[in-house]
Amino acid sequence: MYKFIKQYADTMTDANIYPLISLFIFLVFFIVLLVLVKRMKKDRLTELSNIPFEKEEPTNSTL
Amino acid sequence: MQLEKFYYDNKIVRNFAYATVIWGAVGMLVGLWAALQLVFPSLNITQYFSFGRIRPLHTNAVIFAFVGNGLFMGVYYSLQRLCKARMFSDKLSYIHFWGWQLIIVAAAITLPLGLTQGAEYAELIWPIDVAITIIWVVFGWNMFGTIIKRREKHLYVAIWFYIATFVTVAVLHLIRSGELPYTWLKSYSWYSGVQDALVQWWYGHNAVAFFLTTPYLGMMYYFLPKAANRPVYSYRLSIIHFWALIFLYIWAGPHHLLYTALPNWAQSLGIVFSVMLIFPSWGGMINGLLTLRGAWDRVRDDVILKFMVVAVTCYGMATFEGPMLSLKSVSAIAHYTDWIIAHVHVGALGWNGMLTFGVLYWIIPRIFKTSLYSKKMANNHFWLGTLGILFYAIPMYWAGFQQSSMWKQFTEAGQLKYTFLETVTYMKPFYAMRSLGGTMYLIGVIFMIVNLYKTARSGKLVANEETEAAPLVKEYVAHKGEHWHRWIERRPTQLMILSLIVVLIGGLVELIPTFLIKSNVPTISSVKPYTPLELEGRDIYVREGCYTCHSQMIRPFRSETERYGEYSKAGEFVYDHPFQWGSKRIGPDLAREGSGNLKKTDGWHLRHFREPSSMSEGSVMPAYPFMLENDLDVSNTEAKINAMRTLGVPYEKGYEKRAVADLQLQAQQISNNLINDSIRISPKKEVIALIAYIQRLGVDISKNKTTTTNK
Repeated sequence: MYKFIKQYADTMTDANIYPLISLFIFLVFFIVLLVLVKRMKKDRLTELSNIPFEKEEPTNSTL
Repeated sequence: MQLEKFYYDNKIVRNFAYATVIWGAVGMLVGLWAALQLVFPSLNITQYFSFGRIRPLHTNAVIFAFVGNGLFMGVYYSLQRLCKARMFSDKLSYIHFWGWQLIIVAAAITLPLGLTQGAEYAELIWPIDVAITIIWVVFGWNMFGTIIKRREKHLYVAIWFYIATFVTVAVLHLIRSGELPYTWLKSYSWYSGVQDALVQWWYGHNAVAFFLTTPYLGMMYYFLPKAANRPVYSYRLSIIHFWALIFLYIWAGPHHLLYTALPNWAQSLGIVFSVMLIFPSWGGMINGLLTLRGAWDRVRDDVILKFMVVAVTCYGMATFEGPMLSLKSVSAIAHYTDWIIAHVHVGALGWNGMLTFGVLYWIIPRIFKTSLYSKKMANNHFWLGTLGILFYAIPMYWAGFQQSSMWKQFTEAGQLKYTFLETVTYMKPFYAMRSLGGTMYLIGVIFMIVNLYKTARSGKLVANEETEAAPLVKEYVAHKGEHWHRWIERRPTQLMILSLIVVLIGGLVELIPTFLIKSNVPTISSVKPYTPLELEGRDIYVREGCYTCHSQMIRPFRSETERYGEYSKAGEFVYDHPFQWGSKRIGPDLAREGSGNLKKTDGWHLRHFREPSSMSEGSVMPAYPFMLENDLDVSNTEAKINAMRTLGVPYEKGYEKRAVADLQLQAQQISNNLINDSIRISPKKEVIALIAYIQRLGVDISKNKTTTTNK
């Protein structure tokens, strides 16, 4: 595989930064997500969650 | 507004449903066979049906044939209804269905023939990989076409899960299938050693995530509210569930490689994200279960809800256990043992199996315009399935704990208390009990087949189900301050791109440094490429699926270094295309089988391959007498050396011309050695190459104790 990558770094210093950066990225992503979702309106959410039921297909059978 | 009349395509749903049922039964039957082989090794019938070939057949059948067809059934049924549109193209549906079935048939033929890439769940050979790519694109094309011509403005959460499935599986499949063909059937993995291991488990874990989980979560979000006849508990939670799950999952792969030669930073990343995964997973489970709020009384009477409740509960159990198993201290105990087998079967039998059955019982009566033939039979299926899971999982958990503690126990004098063989024979009763659980589960499936068949017979397929809906108004004007998610929900392409970005972050952060940073794989000067005979032997090792039972990765524990020798280093595997670290020790680790205390004579190995129990009484290993009969095929040796050189293995220029002569010379030496052991055998036989490979394992590092790193 090395042959396909002509240039690569010699050493990996400060590898600990990786989990930290990753955690940070996720936290930002998650907090933004939480805030945005929290701001969604209730009636809108009800409408969305009812999509599977909006136009009932003919139900000819029940169990 | 004028309503448009159109028709849902139920025929394609029925086809996928039938395929799910048929391949499910086949895959489970093969699994039962493999389970019984560990109790009765004589069930390893001929070279084509030995455990090492049957086990990949079982896993591939269950994952890609049973769950694969199951998810397509769920997607084709729910997508049409959620989009209020017929599938984009009947022709694409047809190509998708038959293409996928042909791939399964091709897999069912090639795997017993020993045509494999030797990577778990990515065993299929390169022409089949190409076919999978084409058919997957057909599926995506059909799905996006349907989404684009939909009559419902917003994309319900189930569809996001389907989109994430499509996008991520495509990326996983393309990267894992990086391989260099050297004949029209065979290839070597593009990656080697540690890199191959990282790509493998990045792929392997996310195959669980994006093939076995996200499409089924999409199905849960559609079919569970439908069956319970009430909307999902919290739509907000479902949004968080979706984005957090796809973001986190992709990082988790390295938890399959804890305490291995994978760089520590990558292991740590895998652990952090695996532990965090419990939150979105449980968010999803809770959302599923709470959808039944106020309807729990119906669970008592409605068999479909029963199946779904057990499925979601098993999802919760497996996703609690997953993060726990990702902790280093727990992995130290569980890795390589039957605990993992128990864990995956709670997921496969419980989550995928039970949800598939629930959906089948829901769909079939509806598309055949009839009612279920027998509720009682379905109830019996439910109990056989549920008890089957318990009878399967409990012995396997027990076996796992027992195995691990036996491997790790020392006597007071400081010696290992048990030989490996003792731990194997101790497992047999557990393997027998697990087969009983599997049998119960399979009998339940047979009940279902009869029930669904009779149901279908009592009705008539509504191939084109008439319905009507208002067309989508194209001139939608976004009002000021519109919510972001409202915006994205209307735009499938943007949703797909955003999902792609979200899933790529984790994969790239892990994969790129492992490939680009030299110090991640410290080189060891004494590690040399395999000789041509050893290379041929290694290919036999891969062909026979030895990795399904033997690891080649010694972890840095005293219990392992005492048993197997010095722990494994990343630099030892730089020429291994593909890596063969394995994930399960039904047999002992082989990383240093050719060196130190573990070294045995060539004669011992030959007798052991011919009849394992003659050398190790009570062994459950299949016998390989055919390797003493069959001549080694050296027609591709030259091509193999060339391919390896292209991949970066330093065979000198022109060596391929001398390779076969070198191979014959080494084979003759082994054949001469065997004469000293009173065995006369032609040097041309396959077994000679395999012995050469086994005798090479772990030898390099003991030649030269000083290792050089680039630090």
